[in-house]
Amino acid sequence: MPVLMNGLFIHLTWANALVLVLLGLVGGVISGFAGSGAAFIMTPGMMNLHVPGVVAVGSNMAHRFGNNMMGARRHAGLGNVDKRLSILLLVTALVGVQVAVWINSRLFKMGGGEGHEGAGGAMSNLYISLIFIGVLSFVGSFMLRDALRPRDGKEGGGPSMKLANMISNITLPPMVYFPVADVRVSLWLVLLLGLVVGFLDGTVAIGGFLGVPAMIYLFGVPTTVATGSELFMAMFGGAWGAISYAYQGFVDLRLSCLLLLGSLMGVYIGAYGTKVVKEVLVRLVASSIILLCVLSRAVAVPVYLRQLHYLQFREEWEPWLKGASTAILFAAGIGGTGLVLFHVVKATLERRKVHSTLLVRKAEGDGRVS
Amino acid sequence: MPIIFISSLPFGGGERLARKLAERLGYGFLSREDVVAKATEYGVPVGKLEVAMVKRPAVQERLARLKERYLAVATSVLCERAREGDLVYYGRAGHYLLPGVSHVLRVHVIPDPVQRLETAAQRIKLPEEKARKFLAEVDEDIRAWVRFVHGVNLDDPTRYDYVVNLERTSLENAASVLCTVAGLPDYQPTPASRKVMEDRLLQARARIQLVLDEALSEADLTVRASDGIVTVTYMPRQAHLAPRIADVLKDLPECREVRCTMASTNILWIQERFDPASEAFRHVTEVARRWGAAVELLRYAPEGPEEGEEAAPTPAPPAGKAEGGVEDDLPEAQAGKADNSFERALDALVQEGRSGGGRTVAGGRERLLGAISITVPYSLVVVGDLFLDKSAAARTRMTRELAMFLADHVKAPVLSTADLSSRLHVGKEEVLKAVGAGIVLLLIFGLIFSRQEGLLSVLGGEAHKAAPWVASLLVAFLAPVVSVLYGSLLASAMKWLKMD
Repeated sequence: MPVLMNGLFIHLTWANALVLVLLGLVGGVISGFAGSGAAFIMTPGMMNLHVPGVVAVGSNMAHRFGNNMMGARRHAGLGNVDKRLSILLLVTALVGVQVAVWINSRLFKMGGGEGHEGAGGAMSNLYISLIFIGVLSFVGSFMLRDALRPRDGKEGGGPSMKLANMISNITLPPMVYFPVADVRVSLWLVLLLGLVVGFLDGTVAIGGFLGVPAMIYLFGVPTTVATGSELFMAMFGGAWGAISYAYQGFVDLRLSCLLLLGSLMGVYIGAYGTKVVKEVLVRLVASSIILLCVLSRAVAVPVYLRQLHYLQFREEWEPWLKGASTAILFAAGIGGTGLVLFHVVKATLERRKVHSTLLVRKAEGDGRVS
Repeated sequence: MPIIFISSLPFGGGERLARKLAERLGYGFLSREDVVAKATEYGVPVGKLEVAMVKRPAVQERLARLKERYLAVATSVLCERAREGDLVYYGRAGHYLLPGVSHVLRVHVIPDPVQRLETAAQRIKLPEEKARKFLAEVDEDIRAWVRFVHGVNLDDPTRYDYVVNLERTSLENAASVLCTVAGLPDYQPTPASRKVMEDRLLQARARIQLVLDEALSEADLTVRASDGIVTVTYMPRQAHLAPRIADVLKDLPECREVRCTMASTNILWIQERFDPASEAFRHVTEVARRWGAAVELLRYAPEGPEEGEEAAPTPAPPAGKAEGGVEDDLPEAQAGKADNSFERALDALVQEGRSGGGRTVAGGRERLLGAISITVPYSLVVVGDLFLDKSAAARTRMTRELAMFLADHVKAPVLSTADLSSRLHVGKEEVLKAVGAGIVLLLIFGLIFSRQEGLLSVLGGEAHKAAPWVASLLVAFLAPVVSVLYGSLLASAMKWLKMD
């Protein structure tokens, strides 16, 4: 794959432009379906298209910038944003983003690629892949366990809440009251969470994966307020990240625009899917896709290790590993999207059949479906 | 006589006042403890629910279901006891269990802090300092509970009819005053308010019967009851449960009809008169079809004209002015018995498969708010034609003010029927905007992809080395502009395709 500007940017053909739009569509469908960001598929997806990891992260942040803005506006209109919480999170999130941008840029400039894909980016690619694998294997397995646990309607079958309960009991002063979320939380916990979320957002653009559940489980913030407040914070944090990456020269606006073409459309389809698919299936599909994305990245890691001379194996294996990584990722994305689309179409057809109200008139002693 | 609700924090004398009042008036006495015991019998772990809620709710869905179950049991116990005879209830803002019921007397008791501390220290056998800390923690937990269960502030005096401060008033005197107040005509039951209570009871019983069924205990159901008709909405993904719902409710006492509607969400439509042949009806049902929503009709008869208010040249309302509360017979009385448009609108919704139930409420804004369930997650509130006896200008202003009031208190977007119509259809202006957005987008994409080399140089090449801030500016400007333009274009397209 030809690369431009010292391996920073890929050469765009009609074919890979179409693949990028499709990647956006797949990401959008999954994002709307799982109610999360889709960086877990878009970032590695771009890396599999030979985009250097750091440019994939920067371009993805730029693509999300506008989406976050629109999402945050919608949530704010519905009263789902706790601005005090968002602003306090943002204070340290900006520091986290800046640290992440600095590390990614330094690693990219350290090089190590020797003219391979994204020349000079092997160290940065390896670093991004390892963070990606570490965070998302934890999140994915947690979600999968939650999806597969027996639901007999009784308490106790859920994920272990020991750690969450322990952390939520920390009352280190000053305690801050958040009026919209109606919770009181230690300021230090909020600042720490902001830092971690900002760092993960700046490194792999997956801060929301940790931020939203942490706000729900640790702070007791209602789900809608957690999502709205995270989006509000991400609007500024993401903008700061995108602008910082652009300053470092790691944003490819062409990729951002192509991803956007598919992703916004996909979000509509995915969001509709959640209405017609069982909740357990939503969690199962989302967690499976995340874990397959992790596997895809894990398969690509030996390639970066070899490029950095940390691992030795025959050169002809490299295309196979890259091919396998790409195949797993796209199979996961297309499979997941296909499943959502299948259910959306099926539900639409079924809905036409079961259109009317089931009516039981007791006085007449009959029961009929009209 | 009214149902008297005494709300206070523990050890504050509220319970003693409630018992004294019941004794003097010869009323029955019911406390929150009785309700909790009954809820536990029905499998609601109230203690666990309280702890989970206070310790920050992690699994919201499960808590929400338990809360629903608790509210149903509490409402049912309260209504059944109130049916047996007059009642004094002692608890935490218990009057919220009967929203829309007008024959309630809501009393908040402010305790004497010194006496409260002494009582608490004696009963829990703790030194004063520890008892003070204990009380502060308990108070905070109770306030959080009331916010969680009823969504209100326990101490807000506007939520009560009377506030009794025991720091300056003795229990005896407070009881004497309340005995007199309880006899005032403002708090006496009317046939309409009794009917609302019956509806609440039927709704609560239906909910309990549904949650006690193993197959339905975890389903997301919305239950409404009015005039013997129980309407249950269920999510599309739970379509297989519909026959089961009907089956479970078939033997429900005092229920003459069960309507089960598949709905992803609920739309509340507030209007004075409903006409199934009107444009507004068509628009609301069209939105409901697109969203897969159930439509709940709330027929609202606002209170009579204010002083100095300009009256429209329409016939004056009949002499028997509404007393307030939910009055099922009011609009018929006004419009004549021949007008059964509300029932026809409900039937039309049933035929459409979009029925979310229907109710009638009369009175001021607060009464209207009280009739809107906080437990139903409405995705839209439509405010239609109201204040029909006013002039057109006054009607527009008052409807707009009411919509703004509702928007401040209801967690859902509030739209007028006119707004709904304009948002539903792609008008000329929107087409122009979409075309404009499309042209600008084409230009931006054309520029980006026809001048890739120059762009990449600015983003990361030679030009970037000279002025890296240009790349930042470009991203800061283009990323949101493209998103907003494309987003609005897509939204219009989806609306045009009726897929929004």
